[in-house]
Amino acid sequence: MRKRALGVAALATLALAATGCGGAEPATPTASSGASAPATAAASGGTLVIWADPSRVQPLQPFAEAFGKENGVTVEVKEISKDNQMTFLTASQQGSGPDIMIGAHDWIGNLVQNGAIDPVTLTEEQKAAFSAKALQAVTFNGQVYGAPYAVENIALIRNTKLAPDAPASIEDLIAKGKKLKADGKVKEVLCLPVGQKGDAFHVYPIFASAGGALFGATSSGDPDPKTVLLGADDSVKAFEKLKDLGEKGDGALRTSITNENYIVNFAAGKCAYLVSGPWAIADVKKAGVAYDISPVPAFEGGKPATPFVGVQTFFVASKGKSKALAQEFVANYVTNVDVAMALYKADPRPPALSAALQQVQAEDPDAVKFMDAGKDGMPMPAIPEMAAIWEPFGIAENAAVKGGDAAAAAAAAQKAVDGALKNN
Amino acid sequence: MALDVRETGRAAGTPPARPRREITTAFVVSRIAVLAVTAAILLYAVPPLVATGSWVALGVLCAAAAGIAFLYLTRRFVPAKYLVPGTVFLVAFQVFPVVYTATTAFTNFGDGHRGSKAEAVTAIETGSVRQAPGSPEYALTPALRGEELVFLLVDPKTKQVSLGTPDGLTPLTGAELGITGKVVAAPGLTVLKAPEAAARAAEVSALAVPTSGGLIKANGLSRAVEGRAALAYDAACDCVRGEGGPWTADEEQGYFVNAKGDHLAQGWQVNVGFANFARALTDPTISGYFLGVLGWNLVFALVSALGTFGIGMAVALALHHPRMRGTRFYRIALILPYAMPAFAMLLVWRDMFNRDFGLVNQLLGVHVDWLGEPGTARLAVILVNLWLGFPYMFLVTTGALQAIPRELTEAAAIDGATPWRAFRRVTLPLLLVALTPLLISSFAFNFNNFNAIALTTEGGPFPAASPQVGATDLLITYTFRLAFGAGGAQFGFAAAISVFIFAIVALVSAVAFRRTRKQEEVYA
Amino acid sequence: MRLALRHVFVLVVCAFALFPILFVVSAAINPLGTLASTDLLPSGAGLGNFVNLLTSDTYPFGRWFFNSVFIALASSFASLLLSMFAAYAFSRMRFAGRRVGLLALLLIQMFPQFLAIVTIFMIFTEVTELYPAFGFNTAWGLLLLYLGGALGVNTWLMKGFLDTVPKELDEAATVDGATHAQIFWRVIMPLVTPILAVTALLAFIGTMSEFLMANVFLRDPGSKTLAVGMYGMIAGDHRNANFGMFAAGTLLTAIPTVGVFLWLQKYIVSGLTAGAVKG
Repeated sequence: MRKRALGVAALATLALAATGCGGAEPATPTASSGASAPATAAASGGTLVIWADPSRVQPLQPFAEAFGKENGVTVEVKEISKDNQMTFLTASQQGSGPDIMIGAHDWIGNLVQNGAIDPVTLTEEQKAAFSAKALQAVTFNGQVYGAPYAVENIALIRNTKLAPDAPASIEDLIAKGKKLKADGKVKEVLCLPVGQKGDAFHVYPIFASAGGALFGATSSGDPDPKTVLLGADDSVKAFEKLKDLGEKGDGALRTSITNENYIVNFAAGKCAYLVSGPWAIADVKKAGVAYDISPVPAFEGGKPATPFVGVQTFFVASKGKSKALAQEFVANYVTNVDVAMALYKADPRPPALSAALQQVQAEDPDAVKFMDAGKDGMPMPAIPEMAAIWEPFGIAENAAVKGGDAAAAAAAAQKAVDGALKNN
Repeated sequence: MALDVRETGRAAGTPPARPRREITTAFVVSRIAVLAVTAAILLYAVPPLVATGSWVALGVLCAAAAGIAFLYLTRRFVPAKYLVPGTVFLVAFQVFPVVYTATTAFTNFGDGHRGSKAEAVTAIETGSVRQAPGSPEYALTPALRGEELVFLLVDPKTKQVSLGTPDGLTPLTGAELGITGKVVAAPGLTVLKAPEAAARAAEVSALAVPTSGGLIKANGLSRAVEGRAALAYDAACDCVRGEGGPWTADEEQGYFVNAKGDHLAQGWQVNVGFANFARALTDPTISGYFLGVLGWNLVFALVSALGTFGIGMAVALALHHPRMRGTRFYRIALILPYAMPAFAMLLVWRDMFNRDFGLVNQLLGVHVDWLGEPGTARLAVILVNLWLGFPYMFLVTTGALQAIPRELTEAAAIDGATPWRAFRRVTLPLLLVALTPLLISSFAFNFNNFNAIALTTEGGPFPAASPQVGATDLLITYTFRLAFGAGGAQFGFAAAISVFIFAIVALVSAVAFRRTRKQEEVYA
Repeated sequence: MRLALRHVFVLVVCAFALFPILFVVSAAINPLGTLASTDLLPSGAGLGNFVNLLTSDTYPFGRWFFNSVFIALASSFASLLLSMFAAYAFSRMRFAGRRVGLLALLLIQMFPQFLAIVTIFMIFTEVTELYPAFGFNTAWGLLLLYLGGALGVNTWLMKGFLDTVPKELDEAATVDGATHAQIFWRVIMPLVTPILAVTALLAFIGTMSEFLMANVFLRDPGSKTLAVGMYGMIAGDHRNANFGMFAAGTLLTAIPTVGVFLWLQKYIVSGLTAGAVKG
């Protein structure tokens, strides 16, 4: 019996092998017709794949389609919702990435060191059409990497019912906020997210105004990752000031105010002042709060309170399959005012194109006010080393806000960053 | 391995006891079905492999198919018949990725070192191309000369038309210009319209027109610029020549370095031997805190595993009573925590623990900074983890209780045992046969429960003096912060750390697993 | 009296289970729903968030819902079958490498999955080129990937239960001349329905909430699953604006799970009802 079964098995295996491996011969025509299907698609143009985050897929769609029609290609806009930068890098490396990626300009350093994006050549005319800050942000090592389309930075948003005038200084803001709190009109002096791990992005203007700094500067004025200044005397003083504003001091900075609740609290009238960006406006409007926007104030006699400026950018992927199309799209199509306006409407952040900004200005004064608040801002350093700063800085900030030893916290942060960057 | 030998011995002893069987219809039908499925998969899978010439993959596929066909046609290898279907998927999508990932522990794979050296060279050269100063920005029209792709380039200032080919740039006369300043017709050439040019996009980007100082390359489909590469790779010296150079290849770091010790941004992946493992062992920021973190990690995993089991079993037992009413309602309520998306609920819990705005403080009427103090933060994450995990244990215990014959517990009751004694003597041991393996796997899962920490406390609170390690950090969250937090993602280092953590979990689980052997012998 | 105690205890645990969910309900019916609202009682009530969610242009919630349920049903059915086979072999047969295999099965799950994403990309880039029907952006490809995890915990779960089924049963069947396949289908399977049902439910829930792989796999807004799509709703700066809808979505996500539970419940507690009839 077993012998027979074995015989059957052997026969069947042979038959299988014949259909499978031998089937290769007759199967070839089918295979080539299958393979030529994409080839014929390519003959009518090919495909351009764009990756964006969820909020930008919809507004891009009509323009993607229009571009596709004009050039006889298929344009696909895909959505990535988490770890966009890392997913883009991994996918690109393995050859299943997009042709165009949308992301923040501070990715550039890391994307470049991974050989994931190509420089984009813009004409002098095109360059002139962008706001200087936006162009500066996407320029890395003297090359323009991508087309900027939106500029964003934080500002001070105030409830004009509770605080009719923009504060002249941080001291002024604190005094007014404290008074409102004492009168029972608000619960918090200031809504600025700190959280359990700090929030360098939102506190940076105050930190900078108090004299703090992250990196030294190279001879060309770029941030120099070899000189970390978190533990320098000026920065320690800045952390001391954060401590004074913190829970054991003025109570303006609190760890219980987080990225999840700071806008909501402002919208609910629990604080009169909010430090946030254009993304907060939709919620504030929805809640019906009367508001106005002004630059984050500086300390009296302090340095200017410079916010970080972030620029949303279209990148051309180095390992994309349709690079010429991608360059065409990024260099000659995205730089178009209509596209900028559509993206603005979907997600109101000040456009990087000056012409679009002017158009927006007429309908929406907020955009200009945000732009104005960021005019002295510092483009977020795009060097990869910046990644080492966020967490140690945040933890030091959190410790200072809780009333801990600011000098020790600053020193520990300095040590952690230097260790990570192997500066010693 | 000693145990295996014994088992084999037993297995070898069994077959003769079996009566011989005739070929039944079921036997024939099942064999034909297996063959048909295998053949269908082959018919689907082979053509693309042939088309792309992936002969190795084809060989593997045919061998696998033949192996599977043989396995199901013979009467032997019975256990394998049951194990192979799942194992095929397991090997392809779990074992292979894990093994492959583990091998990256011996490389510097990570940001800046993702690709090969050739890719790095390409990226360096492309990234260094700058527009030649003063050169025109040509309006580009791709065209065909016969079958060959050529560029028709118009200088926007002089309106001079030139023909660009791989041989160089030559002036062209007789071309007709459109309003946009692009060529619409040229003698002897077929001008490509936008869609036709787009169809040849790859050729368009590949074409380089040499000039005295550099190369003219297309920038998109409608413009071209003359660029000069500031850096160029020279295979003779294995170095990159140009600005700041020469930059010599350093195969140990996977970077091009110059005399000053600087390196070019783009690096490549190289083997670093045991450097990642050595770093995990010697890095003072790891070794200095290792024991403390390990201790908390063990407590977290144990309390999570036993706590969820305790709660889950207690409710399951409470509901396991013939006269219990409303069990359907209770059961739905009890599995709801498990039916919600875990990431969403972790975020909700985190905000409920907020000192000033959280629901927990509000309901309890206290003012505790739950996630801001080490003790309370640990309590909070365990509480959240119990909430997330107990429905699972509740469900499996409910299922396991059904498998215990009621006669056994009833018999115990008749013998006069108290309910507690009946539970201890009869129910619990039987439950444990089924559930001990799950307790082990639950422990192992919670030992590495990255999300439970990352989405709630992110490891915090952190002492100001040592920002690297927080009170609720597990080994995995804490070491991954080192591997991914600063200086980009260091996959190689993360893989090395994972191997170490894996070894710890494996050790603990294997010891616990050995203990289950006795139970298996008794009840199986 | 004893029964009352049982009720009290179960009610306490239910309260613990439901407490955060009530918070989500409150956010879902609150027109100004936010993750950070401090109150359990909503400031207003309405189904606006549900309506917005179901009629949203940006978020094709209906498609996500369908995708999730489809993938979860298909994947839990297939993985149930695969792991049941394996569990039968591990519990009933003795072969070389049995215990080592079991332990390996557990340990392979312990390797951080997100590190393996690089390799998953490597594999599926090839697959997408060769067999687009099983490549990125397809439910079938994701299903294949999920089947890779089928043996993991489920096998352990079922093996433990199979061990409690007396071995005399299959020995008797063997003596009667039954083949191993007949024993599996006719003797073992009917005996373990409660645990089959539990495992099916757990596999279903596991797939419904799987996020990591689905996130890198599904990129068309219309091809996403609930977990991925809903994460996108609160990712980035739109967190607050969408939280009401997100909370509504979270609640709706629980519906298929509860539905499957209600469907399987009669199998899970079959033994219990039988006992109830007896006395």
